[in-house]
Amino acid sequence: MDTQSYMPVPPGIGMEENFFSLDDILLSHERLPCRLQTTFPRLGFLEKSSDTQDIPEGTKMEMPLWLAKGLYEQKRRVLTVELPKVYREGWRTVFGADPNVVDLHKMGPYYYGLGSQMLHFDSPENPEVAQTILQTFIGRFRRIMDSSQNAYDSDTSALVERLDCLERALFRAGQSGLNAFQRWEKGHAHLTASNLVINYRKRKLADMNS
Amino acid sequence: MDPSEVEFLAEKEMVQIIPNFSLDKVYLIGGDLGPFNPGLPVQVPVWLALNLKQRQKCRIVPPEWMDVQKLEEIREQERREETFTPIPSPYYMELTKLLLNHAADNIPKADEIRTLVKDIWDTRIAKLRLSIDSFISHQEAHAKLDNLTLMEINTTRSFLLDSLNSMYKLRSNTQPGSAAEKTMDY
Amino acid sequence: MFCEKAVELIRELHRMGDGQLPAFNEDGIRQVLEEMKALYEQNQSDVNEAKAEGKSELIPTIKFRHNCLLRNQRCIAAYLYDRLLRIRALRWEYGSVLPTNIRFHMCAEELEWFNQYKKSLATYMKSIGGEGGLDITQDMKPPKSLYIEVRCLKDHGEFEIEDGTVILLKKNSQHFLPRWKCEQLIRQGVLEHVIS
Repeated sequence: MDTQSYMPVPPGIGMEENFFSLDDILLSHERLPCRLQTTFPRLGFLEKSSDTQDIPEGTKMEMPLWLAKGLYEQKRRVLTVELPKVYREGWRTVFGADPNVVDLHKMGPYYYGLGSQMLHFDSPENPEVAQTILQTFIGRFRRIMDSSQNAYDSDTSALVERLDCLERALFRAGQSGLNAFQRWEKGHAHLTASNLVINYRKRKLADMNS
Repeated sequence: MDPSEVEFLAEKEMVQIIPNFSLDKVYLIGGDLGPFNPGLPVQVPVWLALNLKQRQKCRIVPPEWMDVQKLEEIREQERREETFTPIPSPYYMELTKLLLNHAADNIPKADEIRTLVKDIWDTRIAKLRLSIDSFISHQEAHAKLDNLTLMEINTTRSFLLDSLNSMYKLRSNTQPGSAAEKTMDY
Repeated sequence: MFCEKAVELIRELHRMGDGQLPAFNEDGIRQVLEEMKALYEQNQSDVNEAKAEGKSELIPTIKFRHNCLLRNQRCIAAYLYDRLLRIRALRWEYGSVLPTNIRFHMCAEELEWFNQYKKSLATYMKSIGGEGGLDITQDMKPPKSLYIEVRCLKDHGEFEIEDGTVILLKKNSQHFLPRWKCEQLIRQGVLEHVIS
């Protein structure tokens, strides 16, 4: 069966997250450099570098996105969040020159997702960040489309390796549409074993061998 | 949609056959069929035509457009024009495959027709890709899909929709206040 | 940092992107719930202290822990929900009887849920399509013919077809069978559809 019966909750993409999406949960686990603007009493044990009881105001620490988002308030000074390098001006220039040369998996792998999420935090650079990720997407789109449409039976792993998560999902969507058509064209549209069943069997074999 | 489902829809198209048996009119929910008389042409749905053909009960008359000269014209026009040209059958790809696979002996120059249809398909798909790309790079908001067939749309549907959706979301980012207003913190 | 255990649960599922069901991580869930209990109790006492003694400086810490509680809650809910999606898919891929090695991966509540789902689906299928009901898990693709040629990929024992004939499904034997009778076995990898 080509159609998978298991359809996971898709990620929200952009500024909204989907509550149940595994992708979004992992995305919101990405760590951001933060500076605290208030003291957090009794949580000192979370900071390995200090042995005080509190985390004092002014501490620089990395926080997962979900926590920074939860604590951040526009009106009150609780913490400031620094833009990760890949969204700062230096990299923005690189993306502006040629978005195709960048290994977004290494820089991400949630380049678009995290970039969009950064817009939740006030920063004068936000408009440029939003523009850059949009232009990067547009600039890389052609290559993703072309390779996903020519990939039948050919090795695309080198290209896919450099794609961010969102791009990979697009690549797979393009490929499955094309593969389904080509299978039909070649007349291979017969009944097949479920992929899930096959993968289970592979795993069972692997377990037996190890 | 799976391509086999698109093919299934194509099997409802009518085609002319010349039966070699006789049978009174058959009344079915989907419409009446027949009557069938040896040597007398009659219109039937493709699924029935193929079934009868497989049992050597009829000869299939290829649709008018399934002709080398006509297809060459279409191919040239398709290559010349930037937009999608009107195609004589909304199921040209499916019907070509079905009829050529099961009734090639009833279709003159079957191999040439196969190649021509494939050329037309390839030209149109290349065009489709080109227009998707320019659609994305110009950040268009809507597109006309005139003259595209179901099978053509179907091969690119999920890719196109996911791409447009992503672009829409990333574009909303650049317009603060639109989507940014009400978001939940988890 | 808090909530590391919870995200580990999510990673476990995410690694198996094809929909396989890993063993129910009872221990992981228990650890997350323990962390939540501790967070809740600490917050409870800090809230009381903040109220009684006017210690408003505790508020950032209370919010901090509260966010961790919500995060753990989200991870556990997503873990359980995604597993249900996988379990539901199993009904469509394997049919109503699951292999034991897969059942071992489910907790008691999940088995119960699977049985309920199976029943609802059966009740629905009985209610449609006239007297005999309609098996909507069959013919996932438009069938081309009533009978198909199949080859046995493993010994499966005896198999009864609709007219009462019993055939022996022996490895490498080939049969011409009603399509609707073998679709499930093909999906399970017992039979292989042969195209002549």
